Amino acid sequence: MADNGLGSSNQESTLIRQNNLECKNLYDYLKTRPPNILEKLYNHPTICLAVYRELPELARQYVIRILFVDQPVPQAVVASWGSQAFSKEHVYVSKVLSELSVWQEATIPGGLLGWILSPTFKKNLKVALLGGGKAWSMSSALEADSKARDVTFLDAYSLERWECVLHYMVGSQQQEGISADAVRILLHAGLMKRDEDDGSPVITRQGFQFLLLDRQAQVWHFLLQYLDTVEERGLDLVECLTFLFQLSFSTLGKRKAGRFYPTRLALNITNSQNKNTPDIEEDTPKGYIVVETNYRVYAYTDSNLQVALIGLFTELMYRFPNLVVGVITRDSVRQALRGGITADQIIGYLKQHAHVQMLHAENRQPLPPTVVDQIKLWELERNRLTYNEGVLYSQFLSQADFNVLKEYAQTNGSLIWYNKERRTLVINKSAHDDVKKFLEEIF
Amino acid sequence: MGPPKRFSGKGEGRASKKRKKEEEEAWTYEEDDTNDVEEAAVPGAAARDAEKNDQNALEDEFGAKDYRSQMALKPDNASRPLWVAPNGHIFLESFSPVYKHAHDFLIAISEPVCRPEHIHEYKLTAYSLYAAVSVGLQTNDIIEYLKRLSKTSIPDGIIEFIKLCTLSYGKVKLVLKHNKYFVESPFPDILQKLLKDPVIQECRLRRNVENETEELITQTRKIFLHLVQSPVLPGTKLETEMGLQLQYQMISRISTKKSITKKEEEETSLQTVSFEVNQEKIEVLQKRCIELEHPLLAEYDFRNDTVNPDINVDLRPSAVLRPYQEKSLRKMFGNGRARSGVIVLPCGAGKSLVGVTACCTVRKRALVLCNSGVSVEQWKQQFKMWSTADDSMICRFTSEAKDKPMRRSWEAEQTMKWLQEQEWGIMVLDEVHTIPAKMFRRVLTIVQSHCKLGLTATLLREDDKIADLNFLIGPKLYEANWLELQKRGYIARVQCAEVWCPMTPEFYREYLVCRTSKRLLLYVMNPNKFRATQYLIRYHERRGDKTIVFFR
Amino acid sequence: MNDQAMKQFLLHLDETLKLGRKFIIQDLDENHLFISADILDTLQAKIDDLMDQISFPLAEKRGIKHSFFFSQKS
Repeated sequence: MADNGLGSSNQESTLIRQNNLECKNLYDYLKTRPPNILEKLYNHPTICLAVYRELPELARQYVIRILFVDQPVPQAVVASWGSQAFSKEHVYVSKVLSELSVWQEATIPGGLLGWILSPTFKKNLKVALLGGGKAWSMSSALEADSKARDVTFLDAYSLERWECVLHYMVGSQQQEGISADAVRILLHAGLMKRDEDDGSPVITRQGFQFLLLDRQAQVWHFLLQYLDTVEERGLDLVECLTFLFQLSFSTLGKRKAGRFYPTRLALNITNSQNKNTPDIEEDTPKGYIVVETNYRVYAYTDSNLQVALIGLFTELMYRFPNLVVGVITRDSVRQALRGGITADQIIGYLKQHAHVQMLHAENRQPLPPTVVDQIKLWELERNRLTYNEGVLYSQFLSQADFNVLKEYAQTNGSLIWYNKERRTLVINKSAHDDVKKFLEEIF
Repeated sequence: MGPPKRFSGKGEGRASKKRKKEEEEAWTYEEDDTNDVEEAAVPGAAARDAEKNDQNALEDEFGAKDYRSQMALKPDNASRPLWVAPNGHIFLESFSPVYKHAHDFLIAISEPVCRPEHIHEYKLTAYSLYAAVSVGLQTNDIIEYLKRLSKTSIPDGIIEFIKLCTLSYGKVKLVLKHNKYFVESPFPDILQKLLKDPVIQECRLRRNVENETEELITQTRKIFLHLVQSPVLPGTKLETEMGLQLQYQMISRISTKKSITKKEEEETSLQTVSFEVNQEKIEVLQKRCIELEHPLLAEYDFRNDTVNPDINVDLRPSAVLRPYQEKSLRKMFGNGRARSGVIVLPCGAGKSLVGVTACCTVRKRALVLCNSGVSVEQWKQQFKMWSTADDSMICRFTSEAKDKPMRRSWEAEQTMKWLQEQEWGIMVLDEVHTIPAKMFRRVLTIVQSHCKLGLTATLLREDDKIADLNFLIGPKLYEANWLELQKRGYIARVQCAEVWCPMTPEFYREYLVCRTSKRLLLYVMNPNKFRATQYLIRYHERRGDKTIVFFR
Repeated sequence: MNDQAMKQFLLHLDETLKLGRKFIIQDLDENHLFISADILDTLQAKIDDLMDQISFPLAEKRGIKHSFFFSQKS
């Protein structure tokens, strides 16, 4: 048996590993925090309430049912609360509750396994739901502000501030007023990187994908990246998170802390999963893009940001005061694809912002089907080959040896290709070390 | 050498009857390279191109030409339907409430570039503006309406361009009446200017030799009267091109009502001045006028032509014109005379009915130039179907007489001579974009026709001779919108699908290693393509569709 | 992915040393090749070239279909 390692190489080609933007929600974020951090966070009723609200419905049921139970509840009992038909959901939410340290396993006298809520979470969720404890915000003692900001002002302000960040990312010339901090976060998040020549920040493939997300997802992603950098700056992660959660429980435009007027952007932080709540105002659909069957794109906009976004995958031709004219070409789409934008993201963006006239059209399709198909075809033509980085094993002495390794690889999901007659198989490169160990053990 | 072309002629009177027996005789047009026809002159302004106007336009940070500094957005831009770019391109919202009017206007002054579902693109060209003035629009009207329809202010360069291209065009007409040629214009100063030119002085015909300072002939004409009398377009609303474009009720609050009424009054009685010209000098005159930036528009006052006999041919009652066919003909006969020009209609939109109707309106000897023998037969059919013309009135000249090769050249000579001797009322040029420019010029010098109507589905030519074509026949009079006709069910819906058929591995392997010449064979014969084609043919046959397959 | 023509293209590149050297380690079956990993970027560039050659422009960029005016020699 020979380990034919020719196919392996240390060079990591982007063709094999496409680093796509990973967009976490609150749950994804918290579950990766170590238990001691979670424990600290659960000292704050606000956070407990935010986490509770974000739980799947079934999990919320479980929490409420055992909130006032002091003993561990046998796991079999919890499982029996739901119908057998939903056992999958039960298994899932049990995992969620464990990962978030909302509950933990406990042994019941007699040897049965049971669930019990983490004491800190339990205590503070009670406070949050029933009232009591300290005031949530620091605002109670503040006197009235002579220059109170109204909601319209705050919306405009947040829109302007946020667009500043986005403008900066697309390298627009319209870019004053972005803080060095924000730039640091963009770089840290991998949304931008330092140019190899002059060191100035340039947008990355993940950055492009970030731009095509909706506003709320963008803010949340940005915040997570900020939190990542918090500890390096000597700030306390728990304090930061606590502050954010407190902020998200404020009322729009109501004065809370001496210096803070929360905007919608902040309020929606903990609403990342709930798409039914009223959206950020500027995100409400005001379609402005017309796409024609001849690949022409007409965008009713004077926003440099929107123009820049369309420019990601469109060749822009003319700029009028309230209209941009462009055309989608194979080159322009391929450039976007090379930048890490997917055909679905382009189509999704065009659909999401389709001009109202597109929906009034005869066929009532937001985009001409031919254009949609063509964009997908352009993506497909780049992917006529798929690549897997693997190690080839051949020259097995017996069929039995071959079968043993094949089954091993199959069970750990690393088998890429095999041929029984030729006793040859290809195993994912990342599993190569495991396979070597396995072979040493059995032979 | 071009491919042989066939003529189909429709005539009446002694000549055609005499030729009736020989109607199947061959006559092949031989094109020779040693022709004595001079290059068609094209006016200098025609070479002007608004496209160059934005060479200085800055590109914005995203690579688009940035026009924002050249125009100001109007506060009520939402109620106006279009944008005008400094390079002459115009973008029109097809969903605007005033779309119809804006469309009629743009069709008159510009060339459609593309007209998909929502936003249409047009382009102002020297030629389109020439066409606009030739159907009666004037410089200020064009600028004013464009201003009114635009969401923004109009770039200065565009206003300049419109002025440059329209001030001198369309002001002078060559009119043939009572078999006398006149140069006619509503602008006495322009005629005076032309008459100062020695070449044009030479062309002028003076009936009264003693009187050196002969006055210009002044005439007042009621143009609406002719429209009412038209047997072809009975009961149609009295609309000149001007009238049409003035009906911007939707934005009437910004329109100047006063000027509309005034304009209509002016239109009803038009005063013109003219001088007679020597028939032999017509070509010299035309060329000289082009050089002087006053190209002569050809108009045929067929109702007052008493020299050429009327032909007793009318439309059958069953021939009902569709609105766009009527509109296109109104552009041609709008002032009671026949204008020469090109009408663009998509395939299947009824070009031949337009041609037949035009012939029945002029009611003089008519000649139809076709580009294939099949087409000649079709035209004959169409004449019999839509008009009262019968076999005795229709002559076909084609080259399908293979049995008499010896007589062929003689016949051709005779036919040519006969064609040359006739004074044709109207010449219809079918599929005008396919006719080679050289051939075309040759025909136009042989055939004396008072008016020329070009019919085509596209003004796209592969040889860039569109300018020639337009100055030889006349301006584009009308162009229909394909999608709109489709929507209204006048022409079939078009759907286009692209099916990729990868070569079979065996074929592709060969393809990669073989010589270039053999490659063609391999991809043409690609079995996967055959299979896909077979499937499609069967699929459509089962539905009862007609199928045509092109291979390459 | 069932794209046998593409596989033939790779075999051709390999045989004719179009990428400067051999890169196919083993021909596995009609849809799979085992190739050396460090050729990947060169290979993808070559495939991009191929796709460029067989594609044609769909939309006219500047939309000028009717270029009427070319100065005429007199």
